[in-house]
Amino acid sequence: MHLSASRRPWSRQRRDTGLTVRMLLSFSILALLYIVFLSALVYVGLDFISITIVASVMILLQWYFSDKIVLWSSGAKIVTRDQYPQLHDVIERIIARNNLPKPKIAVINTRMPNAFATGKGKRSSVVAVTTGLLDLLDTEELEGVLAHELTHIRNRDVLVLTLASLFSTVAWYLMQFGFYSGGMGYGYGYSGRDRNNAGGLAIVVIVAMLTWVISFLVIRAISRYREFAADRGSAQMTGKPAKLANALMKISGNMHRMPTKDLRQAEGLNAFFIIPAASGSTIVNLFSTHPPVEKRIEKLMEMEASMS
Amino acid sequence: MSFFRKIRKSIYNSKNKESKIDSEAIFSLSSATITLETKQGLKPTGRCALTVKSTSGLYFNEMKDEIQRFLAISKPDLQFDYRTVVDSYGYLWLILAGRTIEDALAAITAVVDTIQEKGFSSQILASIFEFRQVRELDSSSEKNNNHSSMRFLVYNYKSNKFYPFVPFFGERSRDTENEMRIMATLQKEIPFEKDMSMWYPLWDLPL
Repeated sequence: MHLSASRRPWSRQRRDTGLTVRMLLSFSILALLYIVFLSALVYVGLDFISITIVASVMILLQWYFSDKIVLWSSGAKIVTRDQYPQLHDVIERIIARNNLPKPKIAVINTRMPNAFATGKGKRSSVVAVTTGLLDLLDTEELEGVLAHELTHIRNRDVLVLTLASLFSTVAWYLMQFGFYSGGMGYGYGYSGRDRNNAGGLAIVVIVAMLTWVISFLVIRAISRYREFAADRGSAQMTGKPAKLANALMKISGNMHRMPTKDLRQAEGLNAFFIIPAASGSTIVNLFSTHPPVEKRIEKLMEMEASMS
Repeated sequence: MSFFRKIRKSIYNSKNKESKIDSEAIFSLSSATITLETKQGLKPTGRCALTVKSTSGLYFNEMKDEIQRFLAISKPDLQFDYRTVVDSYGYLWLILAGRTIEDALAAITAVVDTIQEKGFSSQILASIFEFRQVRELDSSSEKNNNHSSMRFLVYNYKSNKFYPFVPFFGERSRDTENEMRIMATLQKEIPFEKDMSMWYPLWDLPL
């Protein structure tokens, strides 16, 4: 859904199906419920203003419960200091150095390495990591990843993206409203309308659709930009961009792309003259919420080079 | 351009590339070592190696003799020690220990020229340069410093590009983080292989 107030920076490259599917599923069910509910309201014959009010209340409710929805759908459990002392230590070290409030810490029991931050305000935020991530990374790499998530919280990325999504959400509702009242004829309680009005509604639908498509792309651009910003923030907080770059290599599975076969063997197999595949097409980039891992690693290593 | 023409062209180009060795590219390392020392605290040890796929036959042996002769003659001028090894893969290694990286580069280039003259340029695989950490970096963790004392730059003659190779001591695994650091430092100064899937390791270097 549009209000999915979660930040999941790691999942794109490594197809983290379990988590993604669960989140997508829960938000799709929510979206479906909205649409059914709003359609029912239109069918009953409520006017535009009251439907807008109902929709706004629902948006607010979703905003209010967003972090709970995210935690529930991802299966994340809030953990205390006694359960994960090391994880608490690492986060406390970062927040002490950078004067940040301490978020709640959650752990997801899955082998997929992943992390996300969610929450409405700085204080009520949650940073969640998977057990797979804790197993995979060493302390300094984990610090880099957690600092990335804490930067999302500090930058209020959840709020920014939610506000940005609001635009597309409103457009979405207008589109729905237009389809049901204008597009499907005048039967549903709008008996007094004439043809001019139907034309007006068609324009509303078209404009709403355009708004929705454009805001969809803009949100994705913002999201990608904020990933870079979070990487930068992490580099400033820890002073070790190379550690985050290494963590990214591990999480994205790019580490497996590193050849293990000896150069002398590879030469025999004539591995050198294969035409390299084009990396990351523009269309894919346009629709993705996360920049390609290679780009992020490249930028992190540039920061590393300028620091030393 | 049609698909097949593209492939044919790439094959043609690769064949062309195979026989052409870019000696300019490898010499750019000479100035890049200064950057590597100031930014990463890595100093060339002067030890380097050239590895060539050996073939049996008269001409190859003749070439080997000529290389030996050349090295014996130029030894007093350039001040280096050398030895040759044949490894388990059947590759001929020419291992040089010079005073400076310039000496090493000059000797390697001269040897490469000799090999080219004899028509064995497609047999040349790579040259490898050894570096040593002379100054600790604040940002690198203790664990990494203990494990990887050897750092190498590999020059691949098939692609005419450099790439880093930092193996963990006594293990068949590598320190990717330090390798990426080396790339970040050098990629603007020397022809660098940016595609990490081309960073083929060279385990058990006889260097």
